[in-house]
Amino acid sequence: MSDLWQGTLEKIDDYRWRIPKSCKAGMRVPGVIYADEKLLKDIFKDKAMEQVANVAFLPGIVNASLAMPDIHWGYGFPIGGVAATDIDNGGVISPGGVGFDINCGVRLLKTNFQHDEIKNKIKDLVYALFSDIPAGVGSKGDIRVSAREEKEILVKGAKWAVEKGYGTQEDLECTEEYGAIQGADPLVVSDRAYERGKAQSGTLGSGNHFLEIQVIDQLYDRDLCDEFGLTLGQITIMIHSGSRGLGYQVCDDYTKSMIRCLSKYNINVPDRQLACAPVNSEEGKRYLGAMKCAANYAWANRQCLMYLTRKVFEKVFGMSWQKMGMQLIYDVAHNIAKIEKHIVNGKEKTLCIHRKGATRAFAAGHPALPQRYKKTGQPVIIPGDMGRNSYLLVGTQKAMEETFGTTCHGAGRLKSRTAATRTINVDTLLKELESKGIIVKATGRGTIVEEAPEAYKDVNEVVNVVHNAGISKRVCRMRPLGVIKG
Amino acid sequence: MKNYELIEHTADIGIRVRARDLKGVFKNAALAMFDIIAEKKPETSSQKPENIVVEQKAENVEELFVNWLNELLSLSATKELIFNEFKIKKIDEHNLETEVEGEPIKNYRVNTEIKAATYHALKIEKSKSGWQAEVILDV
Repeated sequence: MSDLWQGTLEKIDDYRWRIPKSCKAGMRVPGVIYADEKLLKDIFKDKAMEQVANVAFLPGIVNASLAMPDIHWGYGFPIGGVAATDIDNGGVISPGGVGFDINCGVRLLKTNFQHDEIKNKIKDLVYALFSDIPAGVGSKGDIRVSAREEKEILVKGAKWAVEKGYGTQEDLECTEEYGAIQGADPLVVSDRAYERGKAQSGTLGSGNHFLEIQVIDQLYDRDLCDEFGLTLGQITIMIHSGSRGLGYQVCDDYTKSMIRCLSKYNINVPDRQLACAPVNSEEGKRYLGAMKCAANYAWANRQCLMYLTRKVFEKVFGMSWQKMGMQLIYDVAHNIAKIEKHIVNGKEKTLCIHRKGATRAFAAGHPALPQRYKKTGQPVIIPGDMGRNSYLLVGTQKAMEETFGTTCHGAGRLKSRTAATRTINVDTLLKELESKGIIVKATGRGTIVEEAPEAYKDVNEVVNVVHNAGISKRVCRMRPLGVIKG
Repeated sequence: MKNYELIEHTADIGIRVRARDLKGVFKNAALAMFDIIAEKKPETSSQKPENIVVEQKAENVEELFVNWLNELLSLSATKELIFNEFKIKKIDEHNLETEVEGEPIKNYRVNTEIKAATYHALKIEKSKSGWQAEVILDV
């Protein structure tokens, strides 16, 4: 495939590249891409670069339209895109800068098990998890809620789940926003969105969502590993899911209404999927209130998924999850917009940070972090593909200075689903994974092929960039042993 | 033979549909979308399909098109139906009146979840031979 990007790109250093403001008439700030030369070659092959330039059109955008090394072609924003708008200076919020799966995110929990101790149990665990955790398109869970309770979920998020007995106070401390972002307004969520969310609490969903049993295969920072209580060979569990149908409906409802705002507020953007409104406008506030509801729904969902996972482990091993040390390390959102304070040109500003396939990575000492992570910096969880690795990183001061406290979110897709389906044989792939010691169970064989490792960039290369650029710091690396997919 | 083509997209799925008239483009796009989502299980008994009236209004034909597809996705999720018949009763560039027919999702093998139809790179235009539309679906 030939390069689709023909515009200018200036090298800042080995890990930073700039699309100058002059590249496209209408750009308010330059674009800055975090990548090395190797990753850049793939980035050129789709329309991601053009989308970085398009995001630079958003009113109120400050510093730059940023892209992380896992960037690829999305709709509106590129996946891996970050944009901060100054809300006191006409800054906008765009549903397309969050995406349909609002608060899609990941959580990582540890266990007391060493790989050697439970080697022979991995298969049992995978089958038990697959049978007890609802996965797949439109999957419905056993955790049923009334309409009144659903409203409560939208306001309380993971706290709702903890009050129901599906977790502990400590779990909430180890969740971004303590599992419940403030300012959620259930009154601005449509009836249709409620209906779509009704039966999906505690369900994994499909596509790239997964639950993995992993083993730590490399330690990078011994001191940080000690702080987190992580050692080589230790078993961890990673959960990747989002706000399911409720989030899709919120995004659809508000994209529709914000298209009207483009003419109302005289906003010029090159792609209608970048439809937006000033954060301080009535439309902006309503979207933010609804988006927060979907974000809280997603936190409750991942909390429920973790509860079900702990139950499965209890069943398989016949002991309590506390005894197995199944503590949550952290839970991060990677599709979200947040109102945060950052320093811009020496002055503190209140910004609306869009992270579309990007993860918050706050440095040590940040007031938003719980006491236990004040010294280490915020844990950042980077899932890779099902055949290679995943990472635990921490946020850095450099991220605060350069990227509004943000880093990458995963490996990033390389191949389209159609190309993957054309070229990969499911049985060969499953055998290959098995020979590497990875057991996969999925509801659809198609999903396995679409999510094959070769459809993704190498997460190791992506993480190298964010680590070497200094916008986050490697703690340890995991490799998958068992994968459950929708 | 399938009446649509897939457009390569790194993360999502794009479709291109053609038809003699606007009615046909709306119908073919809906058929294409549900063809991607699910396929009928061969062993299922025939059941009385459920009919739903779907009406949409929009400022232009592009928005009408995206609204139509998203309304179908939303109804499919809440009613747990896969739609397979689309009777377009009335259509112009701003208004759409249809009756759609669906069967319970349990009669289908579901392959792909489509979250929504997007406005990104959206095209719906009149050509010499009729109408053509391109849309990127978020999966």
